[in-house]
Amino acid sequence: MSTVLEQIEQQIARLSTKAVRKNTGTIRAVADGVAKIEGLSDVMYNEMVQFPAGAIGIALNLEEDEVGCVVLGDISTLKEGDEVQTTGRLLSVPVGRALLGRTVDALGNPVDGKGPIAAKENYPVEKIAPGIIVRQSVSQPLFTGIMAIDSMIPIGRGQRELIIGDRGTGKTTIAIDTIINQAKINKVGLASGDPKFRPVYSIYVAVGQKNSNIVRTLVALEAAGALEYTIIVAAPAADNPANQYLAPYSGAAMGEWFMENGMDALIVYDDLSKHAVAYRQISLILKRPSGREAYPGDVFYLHSRLLERAARLEGKGSLTALPIIETLAGDVSAYIPTNVISITDGQIFLETDLFNQGIRPAVSVGLSVSRVGSAAQIKATKQVGGKLKGELAQFRELAAFAQFGSDLDAKTKAQLDRGSRIVELFKQPAFNPIPIELQVAVLFAMQKGFFESVDVKKIVAAAQSLKEFFATRKDALLAEIRNRAALDQDLETKLQAACAEWKGAFTA
Amino acid sequence: MATGNKQIDALARQFLKLSLVEGSVSPEHVTGVLAYVEKHRPPHAAAVLKAYRRLIAAEIARGQAVVEHAGPIDPGVLSAIAATMTTRYRRPVTSIARRNDALLAGLRVRVGDDVYESSVAGQLGALADAV
Repeated sequence: MSTVLEQIEQQIARLSTKAVRKNTGTIRAVADGVAKIEGLSDVMYNEMVQFPAGAIGIALNLEEDEVGCVVLGDISTLKEGDEVQTTGRLLSVPVGRALLGRTVDALGNPVDGKGPIAAKENYPVEKIAPGIIVRQSVSQPLFTGIMAIDSMIPIGRGQRELIIGDRGTGKTTIAIDTIINQAKINKVGLASGDPKFRPVYSIYVAVGQKNSNIVRTLVALEAAGALEYTIIVAAPAADNPANQYLAPYSGAAMGEWFMENGMDALIVYDDLSKHAVAYRQISLILKRPSGREAYPGDVFYLHSRLLERAARLEGKGSLTALPIIETLAGDVSAYIPTNVISITDGQIFLETDLFNQGIRPAVSVGLSVSRVGSAAQIKATKQVGGKLKGELAQFRELAAFAQFGSDLDAKTKAQLDRGSRIVELFKQPAFNPIPIELQVAVLFAMQKGFFESVDVKKIVAAAQSLKEFFATRKDALLAEIRNRAALDQDLETKLQAACAEWKGAFTA
Repeated sequence: MATGNKQIDALARQFLKLSLVEGSVSPEHVTGVLAYVEKHRPPHAAAVLKAYRRLIAAEIARGQAVVEHAGPIDPGVLSAIAATMTTRYRRPVTSIARRNDALLAGLRVRVGDDVYESSVAGQLGALADAV
């Protein structure tokens, strides 16, 4: 027996004296969050490197005799001559359900003070997007709860829909509304016990945002009960540019876990303009050649490889991306906006003028488009709102002409009248998404002329009254619309009767 | 290490190439290069020589196994290390011993950028990181 023990002890002794090989380098310079390192001859592109005092970095520039690394963490302790080691690992972040309801930094570390995250898996931050064969076309709707969007610019699961507009036009609000709506749908769907129901989990990536704005978003999500279905990845303005550059990729990795495990996820990148700026800062410090507006040559690839990771996979789940871009003075033809417009499957353009006129959400119907189109709409919405976009576009054109002349024919007046009613109908307060069945009911009432006798200024109140009427008194009818997702003769008759009942009771 | 000036780096690299004989630094060739620089002084000569020195030092380090040890070391061990590294890197590697009491026990071998750690201090450090 003692021989056996000796054998084991010898084996342990051999193991414990086995030399560990490390590839090392020496810091030559540290500036603006970037370290230049001599050595590291075996380092891989995008590999994590270990600095003294626990800081880590990513090797981004591999040159003949030096390596440029962005440092993630405190650089104040680093000094010239410090030894740096390769780790042999690419940067990865924790993923899984354990992150739901949590706020994490770009590396997946909790920053909400709720304790450690019990994540069992890690996914690499950088990953090649799914190829052509594994993808499925986008055909399942993802309801935003915003009537103007769901009826005219529908978004499907696996789609990339850009939200673009000047500062203060309500871009983040649309994204937050969408997240809140997913949570509401999840609650109803999971409570119903329907085995076919697929919840949508959300990831909100805040890049370069003020901490106060992130807190506001967090509070809004918590108040709406949406935080339990949401992960917040925060790389605020005070964070170093390396973290701001990585945060969207970390968020995408977290979303991919849901997608690859047969679930649906929604990711909001708020916003990619600031992300491009952070990347430009890193690139300039790394002395990479700069191009237009001083952005590096691969700034298109920066966003294309990120947004291509959103997909609907055959036999698996989906990842829907809502990137946000901030324009300056409504200029959609600037460098970063045109890049992202060309990558995404459509855009929701928000206009400052509309916003200032009180039309909120300030969606510009002419410039907004969803390239997935009605494939991502339920039949009921198509039935009641199929012609709305055309009507509204025609209204805007006529309204512009009507400013010059006073004599308008009856047909034009009717079109203008109807258009202005639709505009009023689409006004919606922030953080108040409307369930799709209620949207169908309201649009049905519009289509059947129930709002025609109502004064234009009172349309908002009338629509609110109709919504309350349906929500409180026609719950069964709404459930029927939700379950059938299409309007047949029977449903139309019931809707007509319900609208007539409301109209009889409504006093403007 | 790049100096930030491409011409200086290119010239230093050119001198390095001239200093190598069969992949190893030749002291005679280095003397020749220095004499040439003295005679035909290039612009920014000091910067060129600094860059050249760094390259030569890195090249020497690639062909030298620095064996750090805490206790006494047998010359046979040094020869064995040199032979093993020569086989592993497929280039001639010599070994030199350097006493380092901070290692507590065991060895640490450095060949160029690579460090082979089998010292007690290294293992304790790894244990501390893992806890």
